[in-house]
Amino acid sequence: MKTWDALSEIQPIAVNMLKQMIIKQRVAHAYLIYGDKGTGKAMLGLMLAKSLFCQNKHGGEPCLACVNCRRIDSGNHPDLHWIRPDGASIKKEQIAHLQKEFTYTGLESNQKVYLITQADLMTTNAANRLLKFLEEPSQQTTAILLTENYQSILDTIKSRCQIISLKPLVTQRVQTRLESEGISKENARLFASVSQNLDQARALNQDEWFAQARKLVVQLVGILQANHGEALLFIQKQWLQHFSDREQQNFGLDLILYWFKDLIYLDIDQKDSLVFIAYYEELEKCLWHWSRADATKVIYAIMDAKRNLNYNVHPTLVMEQLTLQMQR
Amino acid sequence: MKFVIQRDLLIESIQHVMKAISSRVTIPILTGIKIEANSSGIKLTGSDSDISIESFIPKEEDGIINIEEIEQGSIVVQAKYFPDIIRKLPLNTVEIKTDDQFQMTILSGGSEFHLNGQDAAEYPQLPVLRTENSFDLKNDLLKDLIRQTVFAVSTVETRPILTGVNMQINNAELNLVATDSHRLATVTVQLPDDYLNLSFNNIVIPGKTLVELNKIIEDNENSISISVTENQILFQTEHLNFLSRLLDGNYPETSRLIPDQSKTEVLTKTKSLLQAIDRASLLAKENRNNVVKLETKANNVLEISSNTPEVGQVTEEVITEQIDGEELKISFSAKYMMDALKIIQEDYVRINFTGAMRPFIIKPAENEQILQLITPVRTF
Repeated sequence: MKTWDALSEIQPIAVNMLKQMIIKQRVAHAYLIYGDKGTGKAMLGLMLAKSLFCQNKHGGEPCLACVNCRRIDSGNHPDLHWIRPDGASIKKEQIAHLQKEFTYTGLESNQKVYLITQADLMTTNAANRLLKFLEEPSQQTTAILLTENYQSILDTIKSRCQIISLKPLVTQRVQTRLESEGISKENARLFASVSQNLDQARALNQDEWFAQARKLVVQLVGILQANHGEALLFIQKQWLQHFSDREQQNFGLDLILYWFKDLIYLDIDQKDSLVFIAYYEELEKCLWHWSRADATKVIYAIMDAKRNLNYNVHPTLVMEQLTLQMQR
Repeated sequence: MKFVIQRDLLIESIQHVMKAISSRVTIPILTGIKIEANSSGIKLTGSDSDISIESFIPKEEDGIINIEEIEQGSIVVQAKYFPDIIRKLPLNTVEIKTDDQFQMTILSGGSEFHLNGQDAAEYPQLPVLRTENSFDLKNDLLKDLIRQTVFAVSTVETRPILTGVNMQINNAELNLVATDSHRLATVTVQLPDDYLNLSFNNIVIPGKTLVELNKIIEDNENSISISVTENQILFQTEHLNFLSRLLDGNYPETSRLIPDQSKTEVLTKTKSLLQAIDRASLLAKENRNNVVKLETKANNVLEISSNTPEVGQVTEEVITEQIDGEELKISFSAKYMMDALKIIQEDYVRINFTGAMRPFIIKPAENEQILQLITPVRTF
């Protein structure tokens, strides 16, 4: 996904806006791009930077071949400053560095761009420093702020940026693409739901780990219905072996979440929305065991478990607690 | 790329460009040295994005051949390893070649190194010299100019533009100004008439750059050529290019700040005044602003005093050559005054006051080039 056209498939409105601004040379001094994970924020940001720096663009489309475009890809462009969270937050020093950078003229031209990923992670101090030069932009400087969490950006920053909201991913679109590539409908739905974009979904199809993860979820639910005593053993022996780091554990919880969401969909007869279509029979069986109210409770429990995991609670404890809560 | 070079020349060149390379850079390519070979010689480049240094080794100099077997090309190699390798090679000649995969081979005597490099196209493109916008200065004059202004630049980032020295050229007159809004140092020198058509305005050179530059220029009779492009300034000696980014923004208009009349004029020996203030400030260092008080007395005597109740007090008398005009009591920062007096090499200095609440001017008695301004401190 390299050109505006390719990006416009997933974000038609935002891309059109940005492209028109470039063609008409009405680039604002600051953009705040927000959207869920995988909606292409960084790609849009980089694309915008390329459009500003590219030496031979035509019709707002950067060439992607010139020195500038290539150096933006490799992270070596001297006038593009990319700030990423240093640890858990974006620190005041990072913004101070940026500030210093912008009191100087550019190294190659006067065009300067700064890109801040996860702008919501700026400390208040950092945000306030940034504010100071969002207020007084120098002429050819463009700020691009990216965030998943629009609500936690300071109001004062929001009000100084042109806000571009990205549409959430349409799973339907990814699904049809996958189906057209010969992946079965059942699998395509699951891949599309749990992944963030087409490439990732394709990768899942090849992924042994994911296949095993899916099997474990179905097994866990089966054990929960049949044999209470074994569930904790199963968690200890199989689940935690398979989902070994925090990211994977989160992913595992997501899968269980989808399962129980499916239960509710099935209960209210919205079969179109099911994710685990491949396991229709197992889902129906589950309905005998968990009522809709039960399923809702379980979903809350899973959300709590996810939060605990992020608060560094020991994963074994989190999973054991969740298992006990899931057993009715 | 391929060439065979005298090792000591390469080492010297590397030492020059290493001055610009810092390990704390944001873009990875700047941790490297760029090496470019063409038919006329080899060029090395190092940069930390604020300043860049290019060092050129000509193929042939005064009939001595420095480099042989040149094949064109360029590469960027890690500055962490390359200099050490070259320094420790066994022979006095080094053969360096690169392949399409950006791998560099270094051969000397029995040793052979393969060093992974990067594509030189990734390196920042430094502006090319434009000769119509340049002028020449003697090395020692430039060093003087730097010394006489750069101490006054602001060190706080609240007004970033003041961390630089403003350079102006109009009517073949070169003027440098530095101020941190409490004091100001300016120096004006006349350029040869060839530069009558040259005009530079609002070129603000970062103070840090000038300090670095001062270290690099050799103290000799050679001259240095200075040119300005859209966003960089270039100082060029025979084999060395020193480039720096400029500060972005409008430098405040400073000529209005300098009062044109004065009410009290003092002419005194530079050294005795400097030493008196230095002594008086010994006790003043404890208090917040390092403030000393100056008072005119009868018989051309200046009294400099400082009083810090917790520590004690000091009174200094300086016998001056001449005091004209109104009586005066004024307080000011001893540090600023000493900074100002230190750069004055002339024996006598003239100070013009316009009342206790107005800034005052310090000038060497027989040198109209230098002018310094210090704002007083209000005391009760």
